Amino acid sequence: MNDTTPRRPRRRLAAMPTAILLVLGLGASTTACGGDPESLTVYSGRSEKLISPILEAFTADTGIALDVRYGSSNDLALLLAEEGDKSPADVFLSRSPGPAGFLDDLGMLAGIDDDVLDRVADGDHSPDGTWVGFAGRGRVLVYNIDEVDAADLPDSVFDLTRPEYQGRVAVPGSNSSFQDWFTLFRLRNGDAVAIAWLDDMVANGSRFYPKNGAIVEAVGRNEIQFGLVNHYYNFQKVASNGDDQRSANHGFAPGDDGGLMIIATAAVIDSSGEKDAANQLLAHLLSDEQQTYLTNKVYEYPLALGVEPADALPPAPTYRVGAVDIDDIAAEFKRTMEIIEASGVLDQ
Amino acid sequence: MTANATDAPRTGVVGHRVGVRRPPRTLVTAAVVTAALFALPGGYVVWRVMGGSGSPLALLASRRTLEPLWRTIQLAVLVSTSTAVLGTGLAWLTTRTDLPLRRLWRIVVPLPLVYPSFVGAAAFISGLAPGGIVHDLVGYLGVDLTTRLHGLTGSWLVLTLFTYPYVYLPVAARLTALPGAFEENARLLGDGPRRVFARVVLPQIWSSIAAGSLLVFLYTVSDFGAVHLMRFETLTQTIFRTRLFDRDRSFTLALLLLVLALLVVAAERTVSRSGRRRGAGLTALGDRRSLTVPLGRWAAPALAATTSVVGLALVAPAVSLADWGLFGFLRARHGGMPLRLDWHDVLGPTWNTVWISVLTALVATVVVLPVAYLVARHRSRLGEVVNAVVVAGFAIPGLVVALSMIFWTMHASPFEFLIGSMPVLVFAYVVHFGAQAMRTAQVAVGTVPRRMDDAARLLGAGRLRRLATVDLPLMAPGLAAGAGLVMLSTMKELPATLLASPIGFRTLTTQIWNTYEALFLPETAILAMVLLCISAVLTWLLVVRRSEHLR
Repeated sequence: MNDTTPRRPRRRLAAMPTAILLVLGLGASTTACGGDPESLTVYSGRSEKLISPILEAFTADTGIALDVRYGSSNDLALLLAEEGDKSPADVFLSRSPGPAGFLDDLGMLAGIDDDVLDRVADGDHSPDGTWVGFAGRGRVLVYNIDEVDAADLPDSVFDLTRPEYQGRVAVPGSNSSFQDWFTLFRLRNGDAVAIAWLDDMVANGSRFYPKNGAIVEAVGRNEIQFGLVNHYYNFQKVASNGDDQRSANHGFAPGDDGGLMIIATAAVIDSSGEKDAANQLLAHLLSDEQQTYLTNKVYEYPLALGVEPADALPPAPTYRVGAVDIDDIAAEFKRTMEIIEASGVLDQ
Repeated sequence: MTANATDAPRTGVVGHRVGVRRPPRTLVTAAVVTAALFALPGGYVVWRVMGGSGSPLALLASRRTLEPLWRTIQLAVLVSTSTAVLGTGLAWLTTRTDLPLRRLWRIVVPLPLVYPSFVGAAAFISGLAPGGIVHDLVGYLGVDLTTRLHGLTGSWLVLTLFTYPYVYLPVAARLTALPGAFEENARLLGDGPRRVFARVVLPQIWSSIAAGSLLVFLYTVSDFGAVHLMRFETLTQTIFRTRLFDRDRSFTLALLLLVLALLVVAAERTVSRSGRRRGAGLTALGDRRSLTVPLGRWAAPALAATTSVVGLALVAPAVSLADWGLFGFLRARHGGMPLRLDWHDVLGPTWNTVWISVLTALVATVVVLPVAYLVARHRSRLGEVVNAVVVAGFAIPGLVVALSMIFWTMHASPFEFLIGSMPVLVFAYVVHFGAQAMRTAQVAVGTVPRRMDDAARLLGAGRLRRLATVDLPLMAPGLAAGAGLVMLSTMKELPATLLASPIGFRTLTTQIWNTYEALFLPETAILAMVLLCISAVLTWLLVVRRSEHLR
């Protein structure tokens, strides 16, 4: 997978004392590569299984090796915050804009080159050009195809508070994509409307699930009939299970509040000594070739202008997260969490 | 550790309690250093809370804090109680009775501990859900599992099944080291097996049960994976949910968790000390053959009970995993999507998992031993404090431990070069899991009779020699049990491995997480099965066999 990893010699258990010495010695050698212009350090909140072919192609094209630390986007952002300007990271890839915005608030992100930013629509990078989206996942309604007639599917996320959806909708209240969506939903419609919608969902018996993947599974086995998720999960399940997967995605009507595009973001760390190479990597992520790979193999929406989404994907949601200028990301997300907690949806 | 070969002066060293000597200075120094190192994560949390902008007190008194706190305590008390019963019962059955297939049970009973919480719970849920393999199997038997596992009940069930080894391993080790002569005498004097257990065995294993239950309590309060999937909002869940955008609250709750842990550690010390007064302290001297209780007509129910616990905790998730994995194979065979996994994804991480978990277990055992001596042999008050620091640290979530390691290495400039290196990772593991070796080590030290040590001293054996020839052989089962716990925990550790390891270092658990996050379930399943198999082999090699050669 990552061929740049130095292979450690194999030892047997009996050689444990040697291993201890080896380990202590290794400490000095692994950290010495930070200033090497031939390599970049990437912290990736995108899953290795999805992104490593794209990163390997970069090394093949440019000869610049990539040392990648994979983790959850939130944890990596916290790690970067602790490391501060001593961080070895040059590039941060995040599942959603939230963690990048968190680092932006701390002043840890560098401005991205204009020719990279120009690869995407204005709404797909931050207003001050500190992060750029490179892949999109649409918020959709996943439904069970045996239980629900496609003709009866709702046009708007506001319809889900009606009696016919009572006890039938799964809401991933603690999930970060859901919180991204809800933050935007709130900022566009005002707190009063957003709170009323969530309270109505709770009153309507919507059930809380912790993860998108868990919802798609539960809908597939008809444990529940609908769920608010990212479109990506159902594609993965259908790709794996074929006709056995009894769920499908439904996009809300164009322009409806339910259908936000959640974008994965790339950013250059301000303390990086390799900003040119870092921008080169961002340009690679947004190249026609890699964007086509992303949409055809990973079933995400390409964000580079001129690259078409794979035919199988539902129409792309029109609302873009970067189009909203959020002054204080941390404060807004904190407010979102307070509203979600107060609604009681997490106890459903 | 106790590397000082010169003996303590013999005059004036008998403490106020008979047989309790003042600890040698090397031991005290080692313990103080240990305490300082283990206090690093807690110190980081305190530092962050003090540097926060909000008022911690107002936050602590709010409903948003008290509700998760109450849920956390409820869950932790329930889980530690049920695991105490389950772990003790299984330990007694596998070490003291003629239960059929004992040797097999000794290997497989501790294994559920190795399931990473997120995968174990996910496999468990998916097996029991409609369409899941366990659901379908019991469906054939006419049982309809329609209830959806979640909340307190679901978390309690899953955590009980995955954490009872914390009680089982120390108690089984204690039972193995316990001479059978006392039980035999009680039997000869006319006591039935039940009375023998209550009057002779229970007082002897009491402190091991307390130690194990304490670990379960601390594990439960710090667990994220299982309660997350079971949708039960404990303090640790709130800490995770608020970690990025409400750091003040996140750290304040982490501090609350730590205080809770310290209170519980203090309570456990009181309980196990009272156990000691009630006549514990039978030592491993003399006849090492332990008594075997014939189960007679209870053999079938005992076997059924053991089978069903192992069935639920180990086999049910494994069957779900096998189901996922097999599905992937069949899918690839029938021209569907191929398995996205090659040997390279499995072999390197497997080797890394093996050596780092064994190394961590060894280091942790060595590090806690001086403290164990202070507490168990010298009854030192300092030892009690160090013990509390080490053990309570287990309640701090792994993510916070990892961040604290980064924080301290960043702020201790001579060690800055260590960031992202192996020593920091091993250090993080040891600080996180040292608690698991600590209490079992104390029990182990307690099993070495003072008389033997004194005899060796009179014969002129130096401290190191006494340690090597008298203490260590007697303590081996207890130490191995503690090291086994650390090893299994290290194998499944995720957040510190992701954040504090050298870049590119992969363990089976990081690979399991990688595939699970991408929803590549067949690949997740295969990796988890590999993890399960190597943990079985290591448990047998390093834990079970260690205590068996003594029999």
